[in-house]
Amino acid sequence: MTRNTGIISHFSKGLIKNNPVFVQVLGMCPTLAVTTSVANGIGMGLATTFVVVMAAAVASTIDRFVPNQVRIPVYAVIIATFVTIADLFMQAYFPPLRAALGPYVPLIVVNCMIMGRIEAFATRNAFVPSLADAAGMGVGFTGALMLLGGVRELLGNGTLAGVTILGSWYRPMLIMVLPAGAFFALAILMAVFNRLQQGGKLVLRGAV
Amino acid sequence: MKQMVVVLVLVTLVSGIVLATVYTRLIPMIRENQRLATERSLSALFDGDRNPDFEEVPTDGTTVYRAQSDNGELLGYAVRVTTTGYGGEIQLLVGLTPDSETIRGIQVVEHIETPGLGGRITEDAFGEQFKGLDATRDITYVKNAERNEDDNEIEAISGATISSSAVVSGINNVLDGVFETLTSTGKDAP
Repeated sequence: MTRNTGIISHFSKGLIKNNPVFVQVLGMCPTLAVTTSVANGIGMGLATTFVVVMAAAVASTIDRFVPNQVRIPVYAVIIATFVTIADLFMQAYFPPLRAALGPYVPLIVVNCMIMGRIEAFATRNAFVPSLADAAGMGVGFTGALMLLGGVRELLGNGTLAGVTILGSWYRPMLIMVLPAGAFFALAILMAVFNRLQQGGKLVLRGAV
Repeated sequence: MKQMVVVLVLVTLVSGIVLATVYTRLIPMIRENQRLATERSLSALFDGDRNPDFEEVPTDGTTVYRAQSDNGELLGYAVRVTTTGYGGEIQLLVGLTPDSETIRGIQVVEHIETPGLGGRITEDAFGEQFKGLDATRDITYVKNAERNEDDNEIEAISGATISSSAVVSGINNVLDGVFETLTSTGKDAP
């Protein structure tokens, strides 16, 4: 394997094969809570991607200086720092999105997908592969949240990204934008995802 | 052992410096956004097309805005209410009629309540209930029952009683204190 294909595979495994939401089932709190619309899903996904990429970059750089005993507190501080930056940034530049995501922005701190990537990958690998891995996971997470938000917004509100898709004849299934709907949508998407992975392996590999 | 201390101190120090820098850079914009949000809520409380001017009335402790139309007619007041809901602080504005005896409406400016539950305090269906209530008496709320407007009641959002009652008690507390100030400044007004 050449160096480049290595980096590409580090990146691409987070998209489908090892998708943080559908396969690893990590970071479920934001996944279920904020995906009432496509916009919320993308916003939360991008904020999380920023945090995981930055934290992985720092972690893979300073790892050799961090004694084992203080590993967790050190990485928690680093993650919290980037989450606070993302939060302030959203408050300054995207106040409506920040208002919609509410308390879930500071809660990115406890998204176990982030600590997971740092513990499982960034601290054991060099800088560039760690970046690729974190970016892949972030993009996979964003995509999953977007899909979930899309399904819930379409069924629960008749719109996609704010654009009316299902006309006035459609009576929105309110439950889909309520918390229970998050579980329904996640279960449906996971089932589809598993089916695709089993039945359409070649197709998916080709696509990635 | 020593390395542990050094690493922790360094990491927290750098984190603190970075955060302080970002904060001081962004805080003017965040404040400006909050000011705009207040302004939007204020004009939503009063007729947007009459372009009222808002002027802060000095009172102790409570922020009160006096709304005036172009020709100096008093349109009413907006009182800022800060209360603690389920997720944290809720900031809202309560609009009052010129005699400050009746509520014109409420606008939630900022909140971090649970989306879909307490977050529904921002919805019109909840806010509209306050329209026309008596500001001189305490407002109460009912759960899962028809409200009686004559009893100054609103219906709490089902599943979000804490957020609903926070709004109600916040309004009651602030209006209690502010009523006398308003009736006196109202008379002094030119």
